[in-house]
Amino acid sequence: MTFRQARWDEPPIWELSASAPTGRAPSISGVPDRWTRKEALRWPELSELEVLRHYTRLSQMNFGIETVTYPLGSCTMKYNPRVSEVIARRKTATELHPEQPVETVQGALEIIWRLERMLSRITGMPEISLQPAAGAHGEYSALLMVRAYFRDKGELGQRTEVLLPDTAHGTNPASATMAGFTTRELPSKGGCVDVDALRAAVSDKTACFMLTNPNTAGLFESDILEIAETVHRAGGMLYYDGANLNAILGITHPGKMGFDVAHLNLHKTFATPHGGGGPGAGVLAANATLAPYLPIPRVVKSGRKFRLDYDRPKSIGKVRSGPGNFGLDLRAFVFTLIHGEEGLKHVARRAVLNSNYVAARLGKRLPRPFRPLVKHEFLLSGEPLLSRGVRTLDLAKRLLDEGVHAPTVYFPMIVPEALMVELPETESRRALDEYVAAFERALDDTDEHLRGAPTATSVGRIDEVECARHPLLSWKDLRAEGVPPGGAPDGRKP
Amino acid sequence: MVHWIPDSQRDEEEMLRAIGLTTSDELYSDVPRKARIGRLGIGAAQEEGEAVRTVDKILDRNRPFSRFANFLGGRYATRYLPAAVDSVLQRSEFYTSYTPYQAEASQGMLQALFEFQSLWVELTGLDVANASLYDGATASGEALLLARRVHEGRRFLVPASLPWEERSVLSNYATGPGLTVVEIPFEERTGLIDLGRIAEEVRKGDVFGVLADVPNGFGHLDDHLFELRSTLGDLPLIVRADPLALTVLEPPARYGADIVVGEGQSFGIPPSYGGPGVGLFACRKDFVRLSPGRIVGATHDKYGRRAYALTLQTREQHIRRSRATSNICTNESLIALAFVVYASVVGPRGLAELQRGLAERARTIASALAGLDGLRSPRFEAPYLSDFTIELTRGTASEFLERLRKRGVLGGVPLRDPRPGAPDQPERILVSATETVDDKAIAKLVSAASSALASTGGSK
Repeated sequence: MTFRQARWDEPPIWELSASAPTGRAPSISGVPDRWTRKEALRWPELSELEVLRHYTRLSQMNFGIETVTYPLGSCTMKYNPRVSEVIARRKTATELHPEQPVETVQGALEIIWRLERMLSRITGMPEISLQPAAGAHGEYSALLMVRAYFRDKGELGQRTEVLLPDTAHGTNPASATMAGFTTRELPSKGGCVDVDALRAAVSDKTACFMLTNPNTAGLFESDILEIAETVHRAGGMLYYDGANLNAILGITHPGKMGFDVAHLNLHKTFATPHGGGGPGAGVLAANATLAPYLPIPRVVKSGRKFRLDYDRPKSIGKVRSGPGNFGLDLRAFVFTLIHGEEGLKHVARRAVLNSNYVAARLGKRLPRPFRPLVKHEFLLSGEPLLSRGVRTLDLAKRLLDEGVHAPTVYFPMIVPEALMVELPETESRRALDEYVAAFERALDDTDEHLRGAPTATSVGRIDEVECARHPLLSWKDLRAEGVPPGGAPDGRKP
Repeated sequence: MVHWIPDSQRDEEEMLRAIGLTTSDELYSDVPRKARIGRLGIGAAQEEGEAVRTVDKILDRNRPFSRFANFLGGRYATRYLPAAVDSVLQRSEFYTSYTPYQAEASQGMLQALFEFQSLWVELTGLDVANASLYDGATASGEALLLARRVHEGRRFLVPASLPWEERSVLSNYATGPGLTVVEIPFEERTGLIDLGRIAEEVRKGDVFGVLADVPNGFGHLDDHLFELRSTLGDLPLIVRADPLALTVLEPPARYGADIVVGEGQSFGIPPSYGGPGVGLFACRKDFVRLSPGRIVGATHDKYGRRAYALTLQTREQHIRRSRATSNICTNESLIALAFVVYASVVGPRGLAELQRGLAERARTIASALAGLDGLRSPRFEAPYLSDFTIELTRGTASEFLERLRKRGVLGGVPLRDPRPGAPDQPERILVSATETVDDKAIAKLVSAASSALASTGGSK
């Protein structure tokens, strides 16, 4: 495929107009002068067309799912159905203030209630809360629940430790720290939890073991029932990171696997758009023991009416403003309705098939660290390229020149020069074959081209280390630095 | 028929054969029998058209605020949004993309986020902004944690006028590291923070930070903020500020804010029953390496061209893991984009004029209500912008608002902690002005309020 990304020399928006207000902001009756802005907001005055042209040009310098295959491991970059976008923009969905009387938001409460029931069945967990804003926020909220549970049990002083495999998403240990636990990472064996190591590690200090299954190596943790038993025998809680749920929809679920609490990412499995890094929605699912600790309010149905219940004395309270990212709940609801039972199972099977198919083909070119059967994603190691003086990073950048997104790279950390590839169910056979061909062309390219990539994107290789060494983080910094309009910070020609 | 999964059985069979399998069940040979499930019981698939009808039927049970004389506001705005904003959000290159890890292929989103950061820096007067957090309340929580990183102590001071939701969120952020949120009472007449009490708490010691909000939970501008800095010494001052207010008010850095957070939903997207929104976060330059969230930096590519990339990532969870400054991964990029597009479409003069107009409207509403027997409007004597608080002297806020609703009026946000066991609370309502509030709507509010109060016997 010949691919060239748009390359607009599009200046930052403030360089598009010399016209900006000067002097004081308008004064407001009853507001003392000391409050009034003495220098009006520094931002350009532009026509609507100028603004639209600017952002349309920027959009053309951005990969998205509707333009390219996006096999970004751990992120489940599947098609975001257009119908969900249309529904989420209905006035009956958008023009709702969270403080409106419940009589005027019965439809919203019903969507929340019904989605919660569906997710309860999909996860095998009795109670659901849609409040957290994203996956990591769900993790953090769940750990606050675990914390509150052990406090009530009088064991918080003792159960201070959260255990995780060394393949865990970085958000897991970070969430555990924020929730006040210490963390301990356990070395994995063959890409999976080493049950003996886990047995040795659990104790009466264990508050929780955090696990994603299938894990970040793309492997199903086949010892899951033993893992659950081990953690529970020690009196700990088992946490399910739902980032990889897509692979097991309708096959198994966290409830059946013995998890006590879970988060799901609606922006992964349930196809709500990632928006360039958010919004997400991080659903919480809890078993009967932890359900009383879920955030308030809970949506309850009494008769034919829905209402908000704040009377949950054990609840951790609020983890954000409002009931959750309702706009995304609605999209996930549409996705689940249209797929239905059989559709969701097909989602999982096709995603797993796609990944195994591409894994088998690319496995002929680069080593695959663990056992061959994977779930939603697979790992490759770029280590053999090192002898050519080529790194995984170079390969990732070279793939961009093929008009496909790069895989997740250098994660999980247990695999040297890791590439983590995920091909969700919405990628066709043809797209997969093209992806394999693109990957092979990249591998077969000259070392020099690999190191020089990308060349087809709107800008060439960026030295991110240097960017961090001398951070320029806003227009104010550029002004202070004296970067001229149209110029690049410190952009000496090589 | 679902066309979201490419529909070809033959392809699937060939792909299975290519990996040495015959049936798709074999893809799950690694899932133990005992962990398998039967039916989910979520119902059969619906055609797209059928699903749309199903969902519309449910949504039709909602009554959007636009069908009422609407005085709801506070932390969520119900303002008019120019159509151009959503048209940018609907560019699939923006809304279907992921976090711009691959900078060279993501310059569009990165530049837009750099512009967003720049705008929040200009509004707050601080040095550095990040590329967004979840919402205003969680941004306050992250600010609390940052304050603790730069200052010793275990106690964090907040105004008691802060909405209960935000106090609850802050308590959650405080609980992990074993910190306490202390509520500072407000002055009975003005609703403004009791400066003496802050000084007293600071003298007692063990305080690591203070939060104030502009406008505060009652809608008022707290004049004491100009004196607060000198009371606090080197304690971090966090200001939660409304972005539209900052188009006409002095940037909080001018009165000594070290961190400024906010909710950006009002700039560009509708409230959608509470989310998504966007958390705004800015701080002093010397705090940046301890600060949470993704940050975009300006740099150049290898040809010397201007370029942008995510930067200072060694603070973040995917690198620093348990020692990260925050667990945040997915943030609110698309809403950050909406924020900067909205501000640019309306323009700096338009924004300031909008705020001025809403403030004038709020004064009209406040004085129209002031004549009624049975409520105090505004309840507090202090300057305000688009929002102000009324207090009922008889009846409850919930009955009052219910009576208004039946007459087609959404009267405002009840300022009440709904949790059972919350202490007795005065019957206060936050009333807000939006562009849709015209003289007719105000007349409707006054008439509905007057009849609601008339039918409420006795004084409280």
